[in-house]
Amino acid sequence: MDSLKEDLKKQIIEQLNLEDLQVSDIDDNSLLFSAEGVGLDSIDALELIVLMEKFYGIQVTNPDEGKDAFLTINTMADYIEKKRNQ
Amino acid sequence: MNFITSCCRITEKNCLINGRIVAHKIEDSPESWFKQLYKHLALEYPKFYKMDMLSQAGFLASEYLKKEYPEFINSYADDEIALLFANQESSADTDIRFKDSYRDHKSPSPSLFVYTLPNIVLGELAIRNKLYGENMFAVLPKFAPDFFLQYGNILLSTGSKALMAGWLGVLDGKVEVSVFLVERDKDNRMPFSEENMIKCFSDQA
Amino acid sequence: MTFIGAEEIVGPLGQNIQENFMAVRENRTGITLANHAGFNNEDINLAKITSLEVKNKFEYLLVDVLDKISRKIDASFISSPKTIIVVSSTKGDLDRDISNPFEPSVRALTERFELKNQPLVVSNACISGVLAINAASNLIRAGAYDHAVVIGCDVISDFVLFGFQSLFAVSALPCRPFDKSRNGITLGEGCSAVVISNNKEIFETAPLELMPGTSANDANHISGPSRTGEGLYRTIKRTLEQNHISAQDIDFISAHGTATVFNDEMEAIAFDRMDMADIPLNSLKGYFGHTLGAAGIMETAVSMQMMRHDLLIKSLGYSESGTSKNLNITTENKSSGLNTILKTASGFGGCNASLVIRKL
Repeated sequence: MDSLKEDLKKQIIEQLNLEDLQVSDIDDNSLLFSAEGVGLDSIDALELIVLMEKFYGIQVTNPDEGKDAFLTINTMADYIEKKRNQ
Repeated sequence: MNFITSCCRITEKNCLINGRIVAHKIEDSPESWFKQLYKHLALEYPKFYKMDMLSQAGFLASEYLKKEYPEFINSYADDEIALLFANQESSADTDIRFKDSYRDHKSPSPSLFVYTLPNIVLGELAIRNKLYGENMFAVLPKFAPDFFLQYGNILLSTGSKALMAGWLGVLDGKVEVSVFLVERDKDNRMPFSEENMIKCFSDQA
Repeated sequence: MTFIGAEEIVGPLGQNIQENFMAVRENRTGITLANHAGFNNEDINLAKITSLEVKNKFEYLLVDVLDKISRKIDASFISSPKTIIVVSSTKGDLDRDISNPFEPSVRALTERFELKNQPLVVSNACISGVLAINAASNLIRAGAYDHAVVIGCDVISDFVLFGFQSLFAVSALPCRPFDKSRNGITLGEGCSAVVISNNKEIFETAPLELMPGTSANDANHISGPSRTGEGLYRTIKRTLEQNHISAQDIDFISAHGTATVFNDEMEAIAFDRMDMADIPLNSLKGYFGHTLGAAGIMETAVSMQMMRHDLLIKSLGYSESGTSKNLNITTENKSSGLNTILKTASGFGGCNASLVIRKL
């Protein structure tokens, strides 16, 4: 699970052009979409959907589904595990 | 009368303000030219990294102009500065990247798609500087000082008091950026004319 | 005074303005289901000109519409040195040459019609059409030209459709502007033109008066509209003020109404801030889809027809209010004196534009 979270952070930094961020800057519980957290915006949310498909073969058909799943790195990892086991 | 009060030129190798080289591309750096310029400006604006090349070009030129002339933006009300830009290739640099993103059944990239319109750079400039004024992006066969003069003067006589204007030629490594500030009644620099627009950019590298 | 007239449309609802307005009058839509058009091969609702299968569709449409215009006004005006052609488009002939989307078609137009001035291409997202009309009006008022033909054109492409799909912005059903159940745009294509001049006499059918319009940026987000409708509010306010018109003078609003949740909400807020919530309003995108660079021209052309016939047209796709501020959306065709109308547009990049047209 830890390597999944680490991979996720690397993928997010690369896909979303978060140039000045390192993996160590993203806390597992940091709110991804909060200004005090990682500060992602609505377009980033859509790119996360592309990321899910590209790296994990998961199709998010409705962006609202993403809202809960993408709260933090932890929730994203849980979401991926859940989908993998389906 | 209208006057050009500052100009910035960015090519593949140099960045010049009012004819003076302020930055030169470091060839063996791992960082891209635009990233070097961003770092050179020492700005704290992470949104820069999400911008496409066209928006980065416009952003960098405008930030160099602001650095040279810090009072410019605040000298005017938030709707008095008009944005007037043009190029020949529209948003082609990003269009090609976006088209590539969905080749072979890969999912199209939303963050690239939102930049597949040439006027997005105007949005980035407006957001950065809180500008609520007139906007126009035009596509022309080549750098046309007559267009900027004609339409620039029109904007300055129909409510706008200053312009941030220029040519943003960006495509596949080519960089031909010429951005200038034009103001009414600022009798300290070059009159706004075709000749002076060309002069602004021609004796420079 | 600046005059506007000779409006023309080529699109899914017809080959000329008469056919298009008749269809709209009969509340017929140009939207149909296109099989396997989507990124995942799904069927997608589109307003496509299905009868047109030509190479270089964009160029074909530009030439076709300018040709039709040349029969409405004295053709010699088109090749006059005092005439400028302004083209409004977001993607031009993208599929023909992605690095050079406008030049080949513009050159063809120049040669075919012996244009004396380099056409101006305005490419400013979905406000291009209204912005292009404003630009033409400004150029004529400044004395740079006597006449202008403003042509808006965009064609449907995988590029644009897949792009909007990546934003989850495409409606599964035909779009429903301002409606409670709206959930996205329906893409359309078409070509439309209007003639603008400082001389009333060049028009066969009496023109209308074009008041100078404005544009304003939201300064908020590059793809999401401002929550307070700031840019749209400012452009409407500026356009009215510079023409010494008040909100009460406006008989009808042709809104942008793309049918995304956020856009229509933004517009409702802006119109309400301008105290225009009671003015009859519609979106024409239920008929034509969202025609991007052509939209501002096409929808202005239809609004001019509405004025000529004193006929409010039903806002197709609307039945129940879905915005936090209620607007007076036309739910059926209705005869009404339309003397002064407002046209607005909003687009990616936070841009907004508006113009006013008045009967002579």
